[in-house]
Amino acid sequence: MITVVTGLPRSGTSVLMQMLAAGGLAPLTDGERAADESNPRGYLEWEAAKQLPRDPAAIVRAEGKAVKIVAPLLASLPAGPEYRLLFIKRDEREVARSQAAMLARSGTAPALPPAAMERALAATLRRTEDWLARQAHLPALAVAHADLLRAPLAEARRMIAFLGLPLDAHAMAACVDPRLHRQRAGGE
Amino acid sequence: METPTPSSPPSAGAKSRTREGAKKSDAKRKRLLLIGWDAADWKLITPLLDAGKMPALERLIHRGVMGNIATLEPILSPMLWNSIATGKRADEHGILGFTELDPNTGAVRPVTSTSRRCKALWNICTQRGLCANVVGWFAGHPAEPINGVAVSDLYPHATAPRDQPWPLPEGAVHPAELRETLAGLRMHPLEVQPAAVLAMIPRAAEIDHAKDHRLRGFMRTLAETCTIHNAATWILQNQPWELTAVYFNGIDHFCHQFMIYHPPRLPGVPEDLFNLYKGVVAGAYRFHDMMLETLVGLAGPEAHVMLLSDHGFHADHLRPREIPEEPAGPTVQHRRLGIFCLAGPGIRRDERIYGATLLDVAPTALALLGLPVGEDMPGRVLAQAWERPPAIERIPSWEAEAGECGMHAADQRMDPATAEAVMRQFIALGYIQAPGAQEAEARAATRREQQYNLGRAHLGAGRPAEALAIFLALGRESPEQARFGLHLAQCYLSLRRFAEARWTLEGVLEREESALAAPPAAAAGEAGKNASGGGEAAPAARGNPAMARAALRAWADGLLGAVCLGERDYEGALLRLRRASAADPGAPRLHQMLGEAYLRLGRDAEALRAFDRALELDGDMAEALRGQARVHLRRRRPELAVEAALRAVGMRHYSPAGHYLLGLALARCGDFERAALAFETALSQAPRLRPPRRALIAIHQRPGGDAAKAAAHREWLAAHASGGRARAAGGGR
Repeated sequence: MITVVTGLPRSGTSVLMQMLAAGGLAPLTDGERAADESNPRGYLEWEAAKQLPRDPAAIVRAEGKAVKIVAPLLASLPAGPEYRLLFIKRDEREVARSQAAMLARSGTAPALPPAAMERALAATLRRTEDWLARQAHLPALAVAHADLLRAPLAEARRMIAFLGLPLDAHAMAACVDPRLHRQRAGGE
Repeated sequence: METPTPSSPPSAGAKSRTREGAKKSDAKRKRLLLIGWDAADWKLITPLLDAGKMPALERLIHRGVMGNIATLEPILSPMLWNSIATGKRADEHGILGFTELDPNTGAVRPVTSTSRRCKALWNICTQRGLCANVVGWFAGHPAEPINGVAVSDLYPHATAPRDQPWPLPEGAVHPAELRETLAGLRMHPLEVQPAAVLAMIPRAAEIDHAKDHRLRGFMRTLAETCTIHNAATWILQNQPWELTAVYFNGIDHFCHQFMIYHPPRLPGVPEDLFNLYKGVVAGAYRFHDMMLETLVGLAGPEAHVMLLSDHGFHADHLRPREIPEEPAGPTVQHRRLGIFCLAGPGIRRDERIYGATLLDVAPTALALLGLPVGEDMPGRVLAQAWERPPAIERIPSWEAEAGECGMHAADQRMDPATAEAVMRQFIALGYIQAPGAQEAEARAATRREQQYNLGRAHLGAGRPAEALAIFLALGRESPEQARFGLHLAQCYLSLRRFAEARWTLEGVLEREESALAAPPAAAAGEAGKNASGGGEAAPAARGNPAMARAALRAWADGLLGAVCLGERDYEGALLRLRRASAADPGAPRLHQMLGEAYLRLGRDAEALRAFDRALELDGDMAEALRGQARVHLRRRRPELAVEAALRAVGMRHYSPAGHYLLGLALARCGDFERAALAFETALSQAPRLRPPRRALIAIHQRPGGDAAKAAAHREWLAAHASGGRARAAGGGR
C-alpha cells in the first residue's frame, strides 16, 4: 500500500509526513529540499513526485511508504497500486499567507493579490475534493489542520485507524509543535 | 492530462419530468430539434438538391423557411457553436478556441464546458423545468448536469483499438445511469462496413494503406458521425424532451480532408487521388441527409426542426491553394455564409429568409420554445420565419435568473488567468515542476491563440478599441508574427488612426523583407493545429513559404490601400490595391476595395468593373453589392441600385449603410413607403446616423407624410447638432 500525503502547498503536508515518519512509516524522500525557515523540521519530499505527470509508473517506489503528492499532481497517480490518502485541509487565508511568506523569503511576489489568491485556493481545493470523491481507487481521509494542532493525539489515532498500520500515535502527536503555526487566519 | 470532472446533478430546485409525465403532456408542449451540421454550405447542397440527392432536406425546405446564415469572426467552430448555443459572442461565453490550459495542471487540453461562462439553451430549458438533451456539442465536455441527457464531444472518439476495452471518459454522459447504454451505441472506426466506404470511395480497394492514410481518417469521421446519430436517435426515442440539440462535425471533417479532391480537379492535384476521393464530399452530404430523415421522423410533425451550420466551406474557385502555416490555418477554407432551415407549426412554408446570423439562433430557439429572450443577447428573433409574428417575451438577462440551470459548479469554472496564476505560484514555491521548454512554449502558444481569437472577436463585433489592447500586447510579445501586426493595423484603421495603421503595416513588411534575407524558418511549434480540431487536415498546399509571403504582402498592401482610402489618397490607394490584387488576383476583397477607390475618384465604369469582378469571385460579398448600388445611384439607375442594395442587406442584415443605400434607391424610384422602412431600419441599427434622419424628414414632409415623425427627427438633429460626425458602420454585429 502507498500512503499519500496530500493537500495544497503550505497546508501542513510536511507536518503529516513528519508525524508518519515519527510513527514508524518510512517516508519516500530524497532530501533534495533541505529544512529551512519555511519548514524548520524539513519537507520530507520526493523530488520525482513532480515528474509524475510524465512518469506515473515511478510511484511504485513508494510502495510500503509515505509519499507527499501535492493536490495538483493527484490526477497523475496511476491506477493499479493500493492507495490511502491523507488529505490535509487548512484555512485558505492561512495557506495564502504561508505561501506568500515562503515566496517573500525567496524575493518573489505572490501571483495574485491576497483576497484573490484566497478565493482561488479555496476553489482549487473544492475542485480537488470534488474530483477525489469520484476516484474509488483513491480513498481519502480529510485531516483538518486546526484539529491537528488542537488534538494531535486524537488525529493521530484517527489516521492510524484509517491507514490500518501499526504506528505509534504518541510519537506522531509529539511532532506537532503549535509554535510553528505562524500564519493564523485570525491574524498574528 | 486531467479531464475536468462533472458537477453534481441539479438539486431538487430544478423540475424534472418523468418519461410518463412527459408523454402525457408532450402533445401540448413546444418542441425543438436543433441540428448542427458543421460547415454545411448551400453551394454544395444546391446541386445535390437539384439532382434529387438530398430528399429529406428538400422536404424540410419545402415545409419551412431557408436562407443563408452569417458567421462570426474568427471562424472557429468551438467559438461559433457556443455563440449559437448561448446567443452571445465569444468574449462573453468564454470559449476562445480549440484548446485551453487545464486550471489544475497548466497543461494544454481541448476546450471544455467548464470554461463557458454563460447559459446555453439547454441550461435555460433546465432552469424553466423543460427537458433538454444535447449530443456532441463542441466544448461540451464534461457533460453538464442538465434536466435531460448530455453527451459530450469526447463521447464518440475511439481511444483504443477495436479489440481492447473502450471505456467512456469520465464525465462524457449525464446522467451517469445512461453511461452503459450510450457507451454501447458507439461505433468504432474499424466497425465501418465496406459498403459504407465504397458508397463514397468506390475504388477504395486500390488504396495503398501503408502510404495513404486518408482512408483511416475517413473511417474515423464516419464512425464518429454514426456514433452521434446513434446516441441522438436513442435519446429521441427513449427520453422526454422539449429541446434536443445534436451537433455533427462530419461534414466539416470530410471537407477539410477531402475538399481538395472535390470536382472540378484543381491544378496540382494528382489525378489518381482526385479519382479516388472525388465523391467523398458529396457522399458525406447524402449520408447526412439520410440521418436527417431519421431524426426529423423521430421528432414528429409537431416539433420544430432547425438545421444550421456555423459557416460554409469553399468548394469552388475560392478553395484556397495555400493553407497558412499557423494555428487553425485551415479556417481559410471556411466561408462566411452557412445554411439555415426552420420548419414546424406556425412557420412559413417554402419561403426564403434573409439576414440571419449565428447570434439569432438562440433568441429564435427561445421564442420557438415559448421562453423569454434575454435583452443582453445581441441577436434577434427571426420573426420573418413565422406565419404570424410571434409574441416575444423579454427579460433583462438569463444570467441574472437565479436557480439551478445545470451548469457546472462555479468551482469547476475557474477563470483561466486565475488558474494559471495559481499554478505559477505553486511552481515558484517549488511544489510543481516548471514546464520544460517545449511544454512551456505550448502553454504560451495556447494563451496567445486565445488572446488572438478574443481580439478578433472584438474586432468582428465592431469593438476595435478592445481589440487594439490585445493585439498591441501580442505584437510586443511576438513581433515576428505578422498576423498580429496586420490585425493591429486593422484596429487602427477601424479607429481611423491612419498614421499608426500605416506605421504598423510598414513595420510588418519591413520585418518580412528582413526574414526573406534569412534562411527559411522551420514551421513554428504552433503550426499543425487544424481547424476541425480533430480531423486530419487536407494535405495540399500547406506551408508553402513563397505563397504564404505573397499572401501576407497582398494582405498588407490591401490594408495600406484601405489606409490610403481613409486618408483620401485615392491614387495612392489604387497603386497599393492594384499591386495587392496582382499578387492575389483571387481575393474578392481587394477588387471590392479597388472599386471603392475608383468610386471616390469618380471613375464609375472602372468601379463597376471592379465590384463586378469581386462578385464574380464571391457572389455573396455584401460590400461589393453595396458598391454596385452606389455606382448605379450615381448613374441614375435606381432600379438596378435597388436590386443590388436588396441583395446586399439580404446577405448581411446588420448594415446601416446598406439599408440607407436601399432607402435612397427606393426613394429615387418613387417608392417612399419602402424607402422610409429602409431608413428606419438603418436608424434602428445605428441610431446616431444623420443622413437617414434627413431622408426621413424629406419623406415625411411630402404630402401624405407623417408630420409628427418629421418633427421628431428634426428635434433629434437639433439636439445632437454638436455631437460630431456620425458614420454608417458597415461592419457586422
